[in-house]
Amino acid sequence: MWGGRPFSGGTLRITRMTAVAALLGAGALVLAACSNSPAETPSSSASESTASGPSGTVTVAEVNTFFSFNSNTSNGNVDINSKISLATHSDFNYVDDNLKVVKDESFGTYTVDSEDPLTVTYTVNEGVQWSDGEPVDASDLLLDWAVESGYFSNDNHSFDFAGDTSTLGLTAFPTLGDDGRSITLVYSEPAADWEISFFTTGMPAAHVVATKAGLADSAALIDLIKSEPKGSEDKTSDQMAAVMDFWNTGFDSTTLPDDPSLYLSDGPFIVSDVQENQSVTMVPNENYVGDHKPQVAEIIMKSIPDATAEVQALQNGEIDVAAPQSSADTLQALQGLTGVNVYTGYQLAYDHIDLTFNNGGAFDPATYGGDAEKAAMVREAFLKTIPRQAILEAIVLPQKPDGEILNSQIFVPAQDGYADSVANNGSDAFPGEPDIEGAKALLAQAGVTSPTVSILYKPTNPNRVDDFTLISQSATKAGFQIKDEGDEKWGSRLGDGSYDSTIFGWINSGVGVGGVPQIFSTSGGGNFNGYSNAQVDELAGKLIVTLDPAEQVKIEQQIDALVWGDYYGLPLYQSPGVVAVADRLSGIDTFNPNQNGVWWNTWEWTVSS
Amino acid sequence: MTSYLLRRLLASVLILLGASFIVYMLIAFSGDPLQELRVSNRPNREQLMQARIDLLNLDVPPVLRYFVWLGGAAKCVVPFAQCDLGSSIQGQPVTAALQSAIPSTLQLVTGAAVLAITIGIAVGIVTALRQYSALDYSVTFIAFLFFSLPVFWVAVLLKEFGAIGFNDFLADPRLSTQTIVIGALASGVIWTVILSGSWLRRAITFVSATVVSAGIMYYLSASDWFAYPGIGPVVLVVLGSGIAIGVTAIVAGLQNRPALYASLSMVVLGVLVMTVGAPLLNSMNIWLLILYGAIAVGCGLLAGHLFGGYDPGQSRKAAALTAFIVAILVALDRFMQAWPEYFNNTRVRGRPISTIGATTPNLVGDFWVHGIDKYGHLVLPTFALLLISLASYTRYSRSSMLEVMEQDYVRTARAKGLSERVVVVRHAFRNALIPLATIVAFDIGGLIGGAVITENVFSIKGMGTLFITGIKNVDPNPVMGVFVVVGITAVTFNLLADLAYSALDPRVRVH
Repeated sequence: MWGGRPFSGGTLRITRMTAVAALLGAGALVLAACSNSPAETPSSSASESTASGPSGTVTVAEVNTFFSFNSNTSNGNVDINSKISLATHSDFNYVDDNLKVVKDESFGTYTVDSEDPLTVTYTVNEGVQWSDGEPVDASDLLLDWAVESGYFSNDNHSFDFAGDTSTLGLTAFPTLGDDGRSITLVYSEPAADWEISFFTTGMPAAHVVATKAGLADSAALIDLIKSEPKGSEDKTSDQMAAVMDFWNTGFDSTTLPDDPSLYLSDGPFIVSDVQENQSVTMVPNENYVGDHKPQVAEIIMKSIPDATAEVQALQNGEIDVAAPQSSADTLQALQGLTGVNVYTGYQLAYDHIDLTFNNGGAFDPATYGGDAEKAAMVREAFLKTIPRQAILEAIVLPQKPDGEILNSQIFVPAQDGYADSVANNGSDAFPGEPDIEGAKALLAQAGVTSPTVSILYKPTNPNRVDDFTLISQSATKAGFQIKDEGDEKWGSRLGDGSYDSTIFGWINSGVGVGGVPQIFSTSGGGNFNGYSNAQVDELAGKLIVTLDPAEQVKIEQQIDALVWGDYYGLPLYQSPGVVAVADRLSGIDTFNPNQNGVWWNTWEWTVSS
Repeated sequence: MTSYLLRRLLASVLILLGASFIVYMLIAFSGDPLQELRVSNRPNREQLMQARIDLLNLDVPPVLRYFVWLGGAAKCVVPFAQCDLGSSIQGQPVTAALQSAIPSTLQLVTGAAVLAITIGIAVGIVTALRQYSALDYSVTFIAFLFFSLPVFWVAVLLKEFGAIGFNDFLADPRLSTQTIVIGALASGVIWTVILSGSWLRRAITFVSATVVSAGIMYYLSASDWFAYPGIGPVVLVVLGSGIAIGVTAIVAGLQNRPALYASLSMVVLGVLVMTVGAPLLNSMNIWLLILYGAIAVGCGLLAGHLFGGYDPGQSRKAAALTAFIVAILVALDRFMQAWPEYFNNTRVRGRPISTIGATTPNLVGDFWVHGIDKYGHLVLPTFALLLISLASYTRYSRSSMLEVMEQDYVRTARAKGLSERVVVVRHAFRNALIPLATIVAFDIGGLIGGAVITENVFSIKGMGTLFITGIKNVDPNPVMGVFVVVGITAVTFNLLADLAYSALDPRVRVH
């Protein structure tokens, strides 16, 4: 064995000395020479556009990746596709950040010709055109109707429409106007959501669908739709099937198609570039004639799934708008940035606890021999123990210091009906603080001792775990036996009666009333807890045929009060949301609660360089 | 040999089948792909659920569904059959998703792997030769420090200082006196640790390194070098000569004068290309760049051959290696020339180092500008991967080298009177590399699929992202697609490692 430092031969010494010499020499010479002097370099190659036209680039971060130019198929109906189509399409109306439906009369107009039967005529303005110069006309309106009404659907062939066909399903085959750009729809019964059901944003151009499906032009498509039998007869023609197939899948693409007709725009912007799974670039649509003229020369959507990465990208100036998943840490990080405005608000999603009425458990009248009174007392007692204030403090306040408990089963505070409804729906009987003594008294009055309540929730969602922990601690004090039914597969157990109570989230639709009967009607598709109240059923039935928005709100308020009176369960809190905007960008100054996020008013965005 | 190969291949196929079954079951039971629809209050919920059930065959029990999937996957190895790895929840074929994901991952992983292997082995060898020195201890400490840091945290720190901080600095690229003093002292300490020696020599090293560093930093700052960087012919002469001498010293020994002259001639060639041949570099693409690199190496081989000497092989090697490094410097200089144009681009807005993505969308510019763009995006994730994988290479090559240096044949070589250079480079280093071949092969298999977190944090849409979104959405097919690619790579490289081992070490034979 030989120890010590083995590498000590003569060669090395030379190398070392050479290295030192080279270093010193390099240093000396660097001082004398530098090749890339400022004078040699050309100044900035690209220059800003002139002040009059749209100028500047806005970069918006989104969580998801873009994959379809038709956001109306059930496959393509993902928030990001809808956001891109919002900027690249025009519509008779749009929803603003106050959840109000606003008409865009620079695109077209619609008038209610009659309320009984409900008859609406839609007319596209003359001169409105797609980005390839083709007019937006009756063929677009008719194809829209064909898709949204489900008129031609049967088991084998249908337009794979993501939206609800129940409203336009009430219409008879429409008539087209002589001007070639209007359509008249006649409803068999009044439809509450008529205003938001026709011409949903992002429908692909009819003349493209026509030619891609092998038809000569859009007129041939109109003829085809007119001659096609109703879908229930199961006689879809091959030509119609081709139209459906192309509409369903022809516009799906994770890259920019070679054929520009696949991404036509009739809105203020048009897609100019897609980097697969990374970004989508939009530039002003030169053929756009409406009022929503773009003021920025370019919008880039970048997909960034990680919230921290979004915050740092914003800080590094790579993006101008960040709307990451809200959390206390994210909010704090965003508020720590300079040159950034942070807006918090509520999303339309809200967490709630529902009690099961029909599973033979603690809250089911059947358990007490059909004694509905007794079951209601147990429900009321349980709801009295729910510490909504503590839950709010644990989950919402760190993200939104001025957050409040949600006090309506139907409205969110952003909606007009909320304040009135809360004042009258009986929610004041359940303040945020639990009433343990009151709950004990009710249980004693009902003659029920230590009932068992199983609670189903998603154990991997930390908020739901917090909800559950706080509720079970509080309820136990009043004598309830809480059974933990935390289950990763909670979604598939909904409605199977294997639990007495469940904590999960709904997403309020923001506009429209179609969601109400879904949840609260006896036969509603989202009624998982066996709730049944004849009065509610009747009101819900009335709601969906009521046309007057003010009247709709009144009916919803009545339903809200009835649901509270039945001790249905409790809404807990609305999920907070946050959006951060670099201060070089103006036009975004609120948190928009609906699924369109910041994209609802792209034409109002401006940037300073 | 053939029967060994066949047995190994068969075993590999069985392993892949078994593993794919297990992974498929894990995904299938990990959650409910219909979850988001079940809890939706949309009126057409049932219809949407049915569509998804049809798309993913959810009405088939998982075990049988695996075989449906396997049937499609098997078509990938049958000639002329349509490869079918199923489609994602969004209806995109997994094969298409992989086609875009694989290049992104390779781009990220290749650079990091090459750098980690090169630097790791070099540092490991040097620390082994200087066992228990301050350098050894410092490198060990730093390597383990980075090894133990979680990558997402490293990423956040890198973004904070490497991107945001550096970009802020570039807005006004002047070094403060304080920065220069601290930087110069640090440089002095680092050089002292690296060069070591007697106390007097250490003192000299420290003082000279500090002074020179301070001078360089002051000059770079004062001349606006950070805004208008470049290397220039004069610096290239100095740097290149240093490289030529260093390379010759290691590869051939400085007493081999023809090798030294051949290497130095490559520096002259580099300077000529940089000055006279600059127009050659203006319209460039990646293949041309590679071709130029190959030509440079060819010139090196030729020069080595012409200078010849008593061992022309050594001359060729030294000159070729020098030519390659000098070519990289010339290219680097050309990239630096394009820096101001990139920096002032309206889409870059003076913030060249990015924290997310792989490129700037819609960037207008020539090859060099796009090159900087790519580099500016890749530098942080590459660095993050490099930091965490450096440790293992350093440690493995160090211990391997130490073991070899204690072998009898090394003592014999010394006893024969061979120079230290020949003992280290010819006898020890080569043999120390043998066990590393196995580790490198393993790691490449792992790296392909192992960049999940890095990809997510840096928003690079490679296989890691595909995998993680698949898991989040309980979307089995993309996850299986990634598994197929990673699994096959891992198994293949394992096999290659065994074969390489037997090729490198004559004592090992495969049966």
